[in-house]
Amino acid sequence: MTLKPAEWQLALPLGLAFASLFLAPFLLLFGVSFFNDDQITQPGFGQWIKFFGDPFHYKVIADTLLLGVKTVAATVIVGYPLALVFIDLGPRLQRVLIFIIVMPLLLSVVVRTFAWIVVLGREGVINTLLLHLGVISEPLRLLQTELGLVISMTQIEMPLMLLPLISVMSRIEPNLRDASAALGASRWRTLFTVIVPLSMPGLIAGCLLVFASSTTAFISQSIIGGVRLIYLPLLIWQQSLVVFNWPFAAVTSLALLVSVLSVIAALSYLGRRAGGAIHG
Amino acid sequence: MFNRRSLLTGATALGGASLLPMMAWAKGGLAAGIYPGPWEDAYRAIVQPALKKAYDIDLEFASLFAVDEIAKLKASRGAPPFDALVLDPGPRITAIEGGLLEKFDPKKLTNASKLPPSFLDQWGVCVSAQVVGIAYNPKKVPAPKGWGDLLKDPWVSRLGLSGFQTTFGTVALIELAKVFGGSETNVEPAMVELKKVLPKVAAVGQPAAMPGLFQQGQCDVMFTNTQVVAILKGKGVDIEFVKPETGAIAFYNTFHISKGSEQVENAYKYFDTIISKDVQTALMQPPFSFVPANKEVVLAPDLPLKSLEEFSGFVVHDWAKINPLRAAWIEKFNKDMAK
Repeated sequence: MTLKPAEWQLALPLGLAFASLFLAPFLLLFGVSFFNDDQITQPGFGQWIKFFGDPFHYKVIADTLLLGVKTVAATVIVGYPLALVFIDLGPRLQRVLIFIIVMPLLLSVVVRTFAWIVVLGREGVINTLLLHLGVISEPLRLLQTELGLVISMTQIEMPLMLLPLISVMSRIEPNLRDASAALGASRWRTLFTVIVPLSMPGLIAGCLLVFASSTTAFISQSIIGGVRLIYLPLLIWQQSLVVFNWPFAAVTSLALLVSVLSVIAALSYLGRRAGGAIHG
Repeated sequence: MFNRRSLLTGATALGGASLLPMMAWAKGGLAAGIYPGPWEDAYRAIVQPALKKAYDIDLEFASLFAVDEIAKLKASRGAPPFDALVLDPGPRITAIEGGLLEKFDPKKLTNASKLPPSFLDQWGVCVSAQVVGIAYNPKKVPAPKGWGDLLKDPWVSRLGLSGFQTTFGTVALIELAKVFGGSETNVEPAMVELKKVLPKVAAVGQPAAMPGLFQQGQCDVMFTNTQVVAILKGKGVDIEFVKPETGAIAFYNTFHISKGSEQVENAYKYFDTIISKDVQTALMQPPFSFVPANKEVVLAPDLPLKSLEEFSGFVVHDWAKINPLRAAWIEKFNKDMAK
């Protein structure tokens, strides 16, 4: 055998895995959605009409996307300053910080989620503290509210924002900041005209990951948010595993996929434009 | 130091050792679907060693809720991932109608005569029953008398609610509906009343999350089964069980053989072990507190009934009527409860 493997041959294992583990099930899912009954015997558009004919489902789609946007916004607000601090730290402190950042990823999502019940609960850490300090007289309702859900998702998703952000920001040439200062720019001006644009690829990547992960985080959404906050993953779970209406579950899954992908496509378009603006 | 040869020898030995469990499996194995939580804990602690001792069968568990078991059987289409499974009455009907179960022959169980005759049929064997009522925290609220109290003060503002996804949730909401003029097939009155008090309700959660929410003080009243109450009590949680004045609800847990299983004989041995007097007695002890099915078992004093005959006094439901309505009820619950 003297054949030199071409590049496409190197990509073949991943390509085959992708085709068999993603593409084939996806086509199956797409096919199943075009059946009217849960026994998957009568072809038709019934489930699509049922899903898109009910305004409730539009609200659920909007709520799901909005949850993603809020979580992304919160992780950016908390994560970006942390990343700025990180690049100025010495190597030893950077290692400590990286460990702290990655730690949530090392815990099971179920453990993380239940830990938040203990923190946010009526008799949880936050309420007990505030009651003892006399800030409040009645326990606050934090669990099973969107606020509580966004707070916990911000912590849970934070590594997905910070890791790409830090990796891009660490590569920004430190001399650029000095140059900016030497040319008379204030710290804020340097931040917004030099650091932020250069960190944009990392920021966009972080936003994509957090958005995709938070909109589909079924366990956190349903345990911390409760069942009064209804998002698409809960509907999919109910339809596929409780009611066994797989065609309707397929339509709901496709609605989630398409709506999340559209936002992600828009974000990456913005990312490319931002990248082009800096380098072009 | 390692050289290549010693490394290869070691790797081969390790690889070979990993095959050992499979060889043991070939002698006599059985894979069984079991509910997570107390069921899995109890069956691993009691049934697994008992089956190994009596028949030298290695039992493997797949930890799944009833609906997940059905989903796996449906998806596997005749090549079941487990040979035997436990079900609630609703999913049991779904499984029978979907052709997911092998026919069952009660005569193959040596312990069959020790069960009430109604506990055996052509589809499976009943091994336990769950009794559903109201649980409350006696340090926080007075004891409620019936389902209707749940929607009144002081209970409503401490109420933890779950929907129609589970058997216990569905039957409790049906009983709540009956208080307000509803029936087994009409839960609308319960939904109307719930909507009126919804802003006051302490928590509306996933069924699996309810014990945790109760433990954390997020809610102090909920509908649940006696087993959950026994387990939480065992953990030191302040919790008591109340039989509602209209009667506590009972439903049965049945064991079945998956369609296409190649371990049918072992499955019968598994069931025989579960319903044997010793195993049933062991399963009845705290913290597991299973309601036994074997008539020879002397009932423990802390069980919700004094004899198996008392089951006739419990409220039971016809799941053949409930199943077709459940999808619409879940949808309605989503819409009415959504913020």
